[in-house]
Order: sequence, then structure tokens, then C-alpha cells
Amino acid sequence: MAGRGKLIAVIGDEDTCTGFLLGGIGELNKNRKPNFLVVEKDTSITEIEETFKSFLARNDIGIILINQFIAEMIRHAIDGHMQSIPAVLEIPSKEHPYDASKDSILRRAKGMFSADDFR
Amino acid sequence: MGLSELEDSLDARLLLFMEQLELLEEKRSTLNSLIEQGWFSMSKARYSMGNKQVSALQYASEIEPLVCVHARTLGSGDVEFCTERVAQSKESGKDVSSIEDIGPQEEGVRRRNKPKNVTPEKEANDEASSEKAPDVTPVRKSDQNPQQDPLKWFGILVPQSLKQAQSSFKQVIELSAEIAALQTTVLNTRQELKKSMKDKHFLRKETSAAQADEAAE
Repeated sequence: MAGRGKLIAVIGDEDTCTGFLLGGIGELNKNRKPNFLVVEKDTSITEIEETFKSFLARNDIGIILINQFIAEMIRHAIDGHMQSIPAVLEIPSKEHPYDASKDSILRRAKGMFSADDFR
Repeated sequence: MGLSELEDSLDARLLLFMEQLELLEEKRSTLNSLIEQGWFSMSKARYSMGNKQVSALQYASEIEPLVCVHARTLGSGDVEFCTERVAQSKESGKDVSSIEDIGPQEEGVRRRNKPKNVTPEKEANDEASSEKAPDVTPVRKSDQNPQQDPLKWFGILVPQSLKQAQSSFKQVIELSAEIAALQTTVLNTRQELKKSMKDKHFLRKETSAAQADEAAE
């Protein structure tokens, strides 16, 4: 595993971003766009979607962490992402606990089974 | 591959898929608990430090990542994620001995109406006092080390709860890499299962058509 590693991006509410930045994943400087977005009450869905797409387009991001309630706002964009890298992980927020039935990955994994498959 | 062999292979793959899903669920549950633990510790820190002291207002103006992730695609199509924590530069000594100088730098201000009669004793005293003063280098806020421990954004002395929050989120980051790898594995296994099921249906149709032909004869 030679070469410079990839970043971990986060799209979340203030507490989520603060926590992960405390963990040391943040990058912020004049030359590059930050790898995190603090979503507040007045943050538009367009901005969230554009940030998500910009993270997907960057080749230096390996994992995108996103609060599930924010992922619900841009579900179509997340469902459209089929590549393995960057990996998208949906995480809970303080006010919205994690719901496995809404997770894109698990829906894709569980949706394959039907009664015919077991004959 | 015969129908029975394909069915055996399908059964094995299905069991593997179920195991992977179970493991993914376990890791997710651990991840969610760790995140909640981190938030709880942050709330405790906020309670003791003040509401605005633990918020986005405290983020540094320049941040360098201290952890990165290495992604490697394996031959089977699975992706392996591995986190690597960057060793922080040892500048803590320099930080302690430097005073943060916030505010406009008074570079343009100079002493006007300089007195002409400066006694040599006064000059000697000035020199002595400057020698006695510790070697302190004023540091502007923009010179802060971008690779510093993020805990320092919140003050020199932070409560133990904030350190616990940091520790929880560090564990979350490690676990996120494992879950990301598991997710890609689960999806790949699903694709293989789907393909094998199609092959099985196709093979079964062929077999039943052949049997029907034999019965007709």
C-alpha cells in the first residue's frame, strides 16, 4: 500500500463533523476544497448534492461518511453511485437513529431475494 | 458444471452471504454505539466548557488530515480499506514556549520624539532585562501548526470528556474502514449469487426441455 493515502470525507450536522474532525480526518487549506460539509438548518439540498458529487469526482477520497437523514435528502444521488471507491457509509445522527431499511447498500443486498429464487 | 454442482455452489455462496451480512450488522451496531458514546462525551465537555466552546466556531483556519485510508482492489473485485494515522510533528515544545499574538501587528509604530539624552546606565539595564526575559517568540495565529492535535483548537486544558470523545471517534474511523470493505464484499457476493441463480434457471430449463423431448420419444 504505497503512495499517499486517500481522505475520509464527512457530510453531517455540526456534532458529527466536530467529532470526526476531532478524530483527525479534516483537511482545510487555501489550495483545496475542504473534505467536510457542516449541514445546518439553512443548508440547501442543492448544496448538499453538489458537495456529494464533488466528493465522488475527487480521486483522493476513499470513504464518504454521511448522516442518514441527509442521505435521505439526496437518496437518488447515493443510489446512483455504483463504484466501490469512494465507499459511502450512512451513519446515524443525534436526532435520527440508524435505520437499516433505508440504507442504500443493504437495500441493494436484500432486494435480490424473491420466492422463485428458493425453488 | 452440472445442475447439482451448481446448486451446491449456490448454497455455499448463500451461506457465505448470510455470514457477511451478519458480520456487517454486528460491526454497524458497534459503530453506532461508538458514535453515540462520542456524542455523549462531547455533550459532557460542552456542559463544562460552554455551548460555543465545542462547536464549528473552534475549527482551525488550516487543517491537515492526521488519518488517511488506503484502498486496494483485490483480484476477486473486493476492496480492502486500511487506515493509517500520520505521526504528528513534535512541535509541542515550541508551542509551549511561544506566545500566541492575536491582533494587529504594530510593525509600523515606532517611538517618536526619541529622547537624545539616553543614559548609558539605562541602556545597560534595558539590555540586562532583555537578557533575563525568556526566549519567547511571538507567534501569529496563522502560524499555528496545521498538523496539531485537534484537541488544541478547544483550549490548552480540555476536560477529560473531550479526550474521551476524540478516542471514541478515532475508533469509529478505524471501524468505518472495515465496514466499507465489508459492504463492497457483500455487494460482490450478491452479484455472484445473482449470476449463479440465472445460470441455475437456464440450466434447469435446458434439463427439463431435454427430459420433455425424451418423454415424447
